[in-house]
Amino acid sequence: MIMISKAPPYLTVQDAGRKRSRAAGVPQGGAMDSFALAVANALVANAPDSAGLEWALGGGSIRFDRECVFATSGATAAVTLSTRDVAPCTTTYARAGDVLTVEAIISGRFLYIACSGGLDVPLLLGSRSTYLPGHFGGYQGRMLRSGDCIPLGPETAPHPKTGFHCAADLMPRYDTAIVHITRGTHGSMFDESAWARLTESEYRVSTASDRTGYKLEGPPVGTSLGTLPSEPGCPGVIQVPQDGSPIALMADAPTVGGYPKIAVASEADLPIVAQRRPGDTLRFELITIEQSQRALRRRAADLHTIAQLALRAVPP
Amino acid sequence: MTENKPVAQPLGDSAISITLGSERSPQLLHHVHAVARSLGSARIPHVHDVVPGYVGLTVFYDPLGTTYREMAPQLVQRCERVGHERATRRERRDHVIPVRYDGIDLESVASATGLSTDQVVARHAARTYSVDLLGFVPGFAYLSELEPALQIPRRPQPRPRVAAGSVAIAAAQTGVYPLDTPGGWHIIGSTTTVMFDPARDPPALLAPGDSVRFERVS
Repeated sequence: MIMISKAPPYLTVQDAGRKRSRAAGVPQGGAMDSFALAVANALVANAPDSAGLEWALGGGSIRFDRECVFATSGATAAVTLSTRDVAPCTTTYARAGDVLTVEAIISGRFLYIACSGGLDVPLLLGSRSTYLPGHFGGYQGRMLRSGDCIPLGPETAPHPKTGFHCAADLMPRYDTAIVHITRGTHGSMFDESAWARLTESEYRVSTASDRTGYKLEGPPVGTSLGTLPSEPGCPGVIQVPQDGSPIALMADAPTVGGYPKIAVASEADLPIVAQRRPGDTLRFELITIEQSQRALRRRAADLHTIAQLALRAVPP
Repeated sequence: MTENKPVAQPLGDSAISITLGSERSPQLLHHVHAVARSLGSARIPHVHDVVPGYVGLTVFYDPLGTTYREMAPQLVQRCERVGHERATRRERRDHVIPVRYDGIDLESVASATGLSTDQVVARHAARTYSVDLLGFVPGFAYLSELEPALQIPRRPQPRPRVAAGSVAIAAAQTGVYPLDTPGGWHIIGSTTTVMFDPARDPPALLAPGDSVRFERVS
């Protein structure tokens, strides 16, 4: 079990999301930076879809009531375990009673913490992720508060060796502002100048950004294309509402929408979008679907490598 | 019929959008649902979700098991075949949803349509609607078709919060907000019927093709 000793302003349970209930209107949900959560899970020998903590907006602390290994990933944060510094993306051993403190998030937006065994909240529609607008999933369908206790699942593998660290070159380039995109289903509704603006301008993440989507400020891509018959969308879609300012749809985005979908962010680069804070900038670079899927397969291979290395780090 | 040859396009790495027609129509929507049911029950390897829209559908798949290039022609072929075989029928359910017509926008809808509030209520409750599709938020059903006299554009500014159970109208459609959410439709009433319960199977009360009638309660 872990106990939330001091909750930050935003803390939820997330996993890889709900991938089979879209036809009932249920958003995919899950971790905003699902790659970071998967890495944290790999570092503690959890299954990739195990549930962990998604942490944002400030400091706080949790207490481990059971011996376990844990790892943090995603945003860069100042983290300590009962006064010792904790390195990011590193398998770390915690004794029962140890307190993990996040002093502050330094860069990026979402910090992930995975514990061996995973967070054992009920599976709902195939996932343990919290969907805040619907008040369901995760821990009682809500954000975690100070005093909440979340059970850990049974450990299915031996603890990897403490101190195993995931090499930075296996992680997304969070320090780059370049996000690769493929043409969206309404890409041809936009003329060359609209495409030139989208791919040659710098866009700034607006304060109007949350788990549903990030509004982007910059040169309007196109105007008065209006709305279309509602069609399914997904996280990563870049849609253009009437005012011409693009919106990047994120994890909790509605399953259907009527705004033209000019492009879709490459899934391999979606972590880079997710980790952008309001005020941070992005640039889009158009690639083909083949290039985008190749990049995603490379990302999956990197994750596999991390998991294999972590398992090999299991002491005899 | 507004049906065209199916056209596939990628919607990112994990989804393929298949357009089945150009103009929105009840016939096309019926065809979309027939194709969606056929694809959904076909257990196609790597496919995990089939989501209908108004003029086509979107297939979600695992791009680590296959590629867009492999998947798209296969799906197009399957879509073409559905047109020629008898569509798999699904049991259509009829629902009656009790409504208290006490919505915050009832008066403004009445003045915008030139009707009395009683007439707005009577006309809204007189029709039987059909479920076009589910989406936006869990369990939200787009219901058609509102009587022409009640059709007004959505509010210029959406409200940041519309309460769960709100019964609302906009343009040619009506619907019930299943949960507290931002919303731009005109709220004419409320219901205590639970539209979505994640612990229920199926979780959404309504399914595409179902019919819905609203019944005035006080």
